Amino acid sequence: MKVSFRWVRDVAPGIGLRAAEAMERLALRGAPVEEAVDLAERLKDVVIGRVLKAGPHPNADRLKLCRVAGPDGEVPVVCGAPVVQEGACYPFAPVGAVLPGGFRIGKRKIRGCYSEGMLCSERELELGQDHAGIMLLEGQYEVGAPFAAAVGLDDVRMDVEVTPNRGDLLSHVGIARELHPKGQGGIALPPFPGSRGEQVAGFARGAEEAASGGCRIRIEDPYLCSRYLGAVIRGVTVGPSPAWLADRLRAAGARPINNVVDATNYVMLELGQPLHAFDLEKLADATIVVGRARPGESLVTLDDEPRAITPDMLMIRDARQPVAIAGVMGGRDSEVSRQSSDILLECALFEPRQVRATRRALAMSTDASYRFERGVDPSAMEAAVLRAVSLILATAGGTLDGEIIDAHPRPWVPPVVGLRPSRASHVLGVDFTPDAISALLVPLGYTVEAAGADRLDVTVPGHRSYDTLREVDLIEEVARTHGYDAFPEVMSAVRAGTVPDHPLFQLEDRLRDLLAANGISEAQTPALGPKRHGDVALLNPMSQDESHLRRDRLPGLLTHVERNMSRGVRDVRLFEIGTAFAPSDDGPPMESSRVAVVLTGGRTPPHWSSPPEPFNVYDMAGVLELIATEACPGATVVPAGARAAGGRPAGRRRAGVGSVDSGPAAAWGADETSAWVTPRLFAPGRCYEVVSDGGEAVGWGGQIRPELLDLPPWAGAVVGAEVVLPAVPAPRPDVTARDLPDQPAVQRDMAFLVPLGTAAGEVLDAARKAAGRMLETGDVFDVYEGEDLPSGTRSVALRLRFRARGRTLTDREVDKTCRRVLRTVKEKTGVEPRR
Amino acid sequence: MIEDLRRLEEDALGEVRAARDPRELEEVRVRYLGRRDGLVSRFLRRLGGLSPEERPAAGAEANRVKGAIDRLLEERRAALSLDGASGEADPDLTLPARCGWQGTIHPVSRVIDDIWSIFRSLGFTRARGPEVDTEWYNFVALNTPLDHPAADEQDTLYLAPGLLLRSHTSPVQIRTMEQYPPPIRIVAPGMVYRRDTYDATHTPAFAQIEGLVVDEGVTFVDFKATLAEFARRFWGPGTRVRFRPSFFPFTEPSAEVDVKRVIVREDGREEETDWIEVMGAGMVDPAVLDNVGYDSERYTGWAFGMGPARVALLRHGVRDLRLFYENDMRFLGQFS
Repeated sequence: MKVSFRWVRDVAPGIGLRAAEAMERLALRGAPVEEAVDLAERLKDVVIGRVLKAGPHPNADRLKLCRVAGPDGEVPVVCGAPVVQEGACYPFAPVGAVLPGGFRIGKRKIRGCYSEGMLCSERELELGQDHAGIMLLEGQYEVGAPFAAAVGLDDVRMDVEVTPNRGDLLSHVGIARELHPKGQGGIALPPFPGSRGEQVAGFARGAEEAASGGCRIRIEDPYLCSRYLGAVIRGVTVGPSPAWLADRLRAAGARPINNVVDATNYVMLELGQPLHAFDLEKLADATIVVGRARPGESLVTLDDEPRAITPDMLMIRDARQPVAIAGVMGGRDSEVSRQSSDILLECALFEPRQVRATRRALAMSTDASYRFERGVDPSAMEAAVLRAVSLILATAGGTLDGEIIDAHPRPWVPPVVGLRPSRASHVLGVDFTPDAISALLVPLGYTVEAAGADRLDVTVPGHRSYDTLREVDLIEEVARTHGYDAFPEVMSAVRAGTVPDHPLFQLEDRLRDLLAANGISEAQTPALGPKRHGDVALLNPMSQDESHLRRDRLPGLLTHVERNMSRGVRDVRLFEIGTAFAPSDDGPPMESSRVAVVLTGGRTPPHWSSPPEPFNVYDMAGVLELIATEACPGATVVPAGARAAGGRPAGRRRAGVGSVDSGPAAAWGADETSAWVTPRLFAPGRCYEVVSDGGEAVGWGGQIRPELLDLPPWAGAVVGAEVVLPAVPAPRPDVTARDLPDQPAVQRDMAFLVPLGTAAGEVLDAARKAAGRMLETGDVFDVYEGEDLPSGTRSVALRLRFRARGRTLTDREVDKTCRRVLRTVKEKTGVEPRR
Repeated sequence: MIEDLRRLEEDALGEVRAARDPRELEEVRVRYLGRRDGLVSRFLRRLGGLSPEERPAAGAEANRVKGAIDRLLEERRAALSLDGASGEADPDLTLPARCGWQGTIHPVSRVIDDIWSIFRSLGFTRARGPEVDTEWYNFVALNTPLDHPAADEQDTLYLAPGLLLRSHTSPVQIRTMEQYPPPIRIVAPGMVYRRDTYDATHTPAFAQIEGLVVDEGVTFVDFKATLAEFARRFWGPGTRVRFRPSFFPFTEPSAEVDVKRVIVREDGREEETDWIEVMGAGMVDPAVLDNVGYDSERYTGWAFGMGPARVALLRHGVRDLRLFYENDMRFLGQFS
């Protein structure tokens, strides 16, 4: 709501607040000012200029060369406006002036003629959109005087943020009522300049139907329109509004149109009641019918848009057809124009939800619909119609024909709400007596009456009859008027809640710390992605790139690798914890929390002591093991395909050559064509799975297929992973500590010549099993490929450490065991020791 | 005898450890294990002069000592040769240090962590709920009729009629109260979604953190006191907190909470910021309690919601919210 502070002061003469104080007060009453513009300050360099002479420019057809009287006498001004009236006044920016947009006026030579200043349009002064012509000032002005003060713009325009419950603040009187210490009692509407005094008129009253001045009004649906006031004014002269009216509208951010339309807008901005004026001659049979649209009807609204109206919408109709969408917008064909002479002024009350449904269905919002949706004061309608009639008579002439027509099928009864002072104290924590409550509510327009030992009956004024209908609404009014700042801040004793801390948050926290400690940075990406990234579609997406909910998190994270690399960042280590969505047959999609990781570039920061070493799949295997240990106790990290190939996975091993078919892609449904499913992102034979102790794949990791990524030529391998987190992680089992060994260990190394098709993991597994109970640890410590080895083989060296509890092992028994290991490995895998 | 041997062993091992290069190490070896004049070798030669009863024990001990010195020599030699790989000379300490990569927690997550740790100390736990939810949980149960303009405040993304991406974390209030009896004392961080296009202050998906307290005798005074205490712990002890009336369909009275921080400038002078709007809050509307089957005459409560991304924006002086979601390593790396 754009508010002219000058206007507020005019309707509440004793308000006694400066602009800054008013803004502070509004903020503390629940309607903060988002932006305040000192109109005069922005226009301080602009003055009144009078055009003495306007002739053609000698060197340009479209330009004019004018003599303008300004603050420093007469100066030449080149002007591009199509019409410049000699003798008229315009806003004039002399040399040295700075316009609101920051543009500085200099002495310039335009097509050979000097121009010492500028005649301004509304747009250049940021007063409106009109820039076709310069802004003609009607009336008497002193040449050289400051423009803003001369046209009443020495004002502060405040953009007040009005919450949806406070429709009563969508007017200058509403704002003034909130600001004035006496509330409604401080309001006194000033007479209009040139007014013949407030119009006094009788009302031709009826229920569903009423008539006067040759016009008949009928309401077909009293629930959707509880009252319709109409005034017939004949013999108006439609033309530009007087300067004071146009200036006032501009100060409140509205655009002047003509004296009749401006009068309706003025009264709406002043009192909050939307009004509409029809050209009476365009209404068939001078009849208004308020009822629903008939099937097949259509209407072009006054913004020239054809509107698809439907029978559930409420229309204002004449004897034949719809002429306006009730509470939303008038029709083009019955609009008031310069040719209009007789008009019908509408002042009606429409049901908020009906207006809202209609304007939403039509995807539009107007000043009128905005106010109707939020509730228009049913008790102020007569005042509004009378004020509008007075204003039109004062600015457009004409006479009121007959009485004001008042079709009023459903009279408004002020709501009475019960309030227990004890309840107010109970909720607010401070004791309020009935007298104290009364003192707080009465200035806001409420009437308070005692109705029992602990009960007040509060009668709600019309302007608050939409949002204070319950006891708690009144309690809020008590707190608001008392002032939130006036409540003490004393913490009382509290009881512990019944809700346990959700274990998934705890797991997510641990993973964050763990991954960050391992040099990986947390990313956040939206869960919305393009179609190829998701199976759950949005009904009303913003764009194609954000049309689906992600089925996995890794694909989204990969786009951030691309983005980093496109900016020249080579070392990218990102992880993310977020939700993934899978469709379900009946009901909402299934959600799961995921952790996704990507690594590319150097394993360590560049350092002079050693050459850079890039990340590879083994690093990702390590990260997967870290995550699995934390997130899925009991799970193992195995090469993808190991599970499919033979039940329980043996141990980590390289997937064999040609495992494309047995890889994760095949495990996914054959009808799934998208490549952007996490298990399918990995190069064949370079992918691990995390297998839960129940044998289910809960995570994947490995090297991303390079063809999926749009990366610069210098990019190295990108490895990634994604793990599904349990919905409710089990508590971590307590570790049972082992005693430290009391006996020395014996360590033996042995190397094998492993053919390239054979997995090192199989050799290791066989060796471990053969080593028996004495084996403490056994792992690969060296892998070597070289020309001194038989072709098609590599050397895989194992280090086995033996220890026995309670006694020292002898060389003999360890030697014996090692011979058994060599023998068994050969029997099980065919692999020979390297000699 | 044995005593002497042990002393010898102690000295020898000490000298091996002290040797700073292979040359010194060799000198130690010769001094103790040298075939001709080595102290241990000489001792071994003297075994012959012992009585037959003493001889086996002393011999075994001498061999053990020899083995122990040998082993330590071997290990020390290996260590020194590794050392030697980077050159014989002293290291140049002006060269850059060698470190691993530093990972960082996202600045928005850190804000959530900091908020949570304060509320944890005030007796709160964390609750969560689904990101896809129904109109009932997102609007209706929260006293927001769909035909009221308040439902417009948040332009919602829908999956199907009645099914939507939650536009705030407040549905967690309803779900938690449905599942647990009072007293309730929770915070609920999570992602929320709105039909906003990306700009400097809006993203379609963003984090929010919700708080809810419900118990007997909870008042507006408790509400103000607890949130003011939080604000002072989060933004610093000198922080001023202001509660302004506002409107949310699910709280009444409703408030916007503003803070004014004290910033210490480089020259030591203290300076107050402008009022900064940090959260929406209020007393839980009795209609919300009724909707979950709580007795709204008996129980009262308060709730708040805040946007950690906005807090992070202010905390780190970031001008454009989009930086948080571009995940540029050079940006994230600053938050170590």
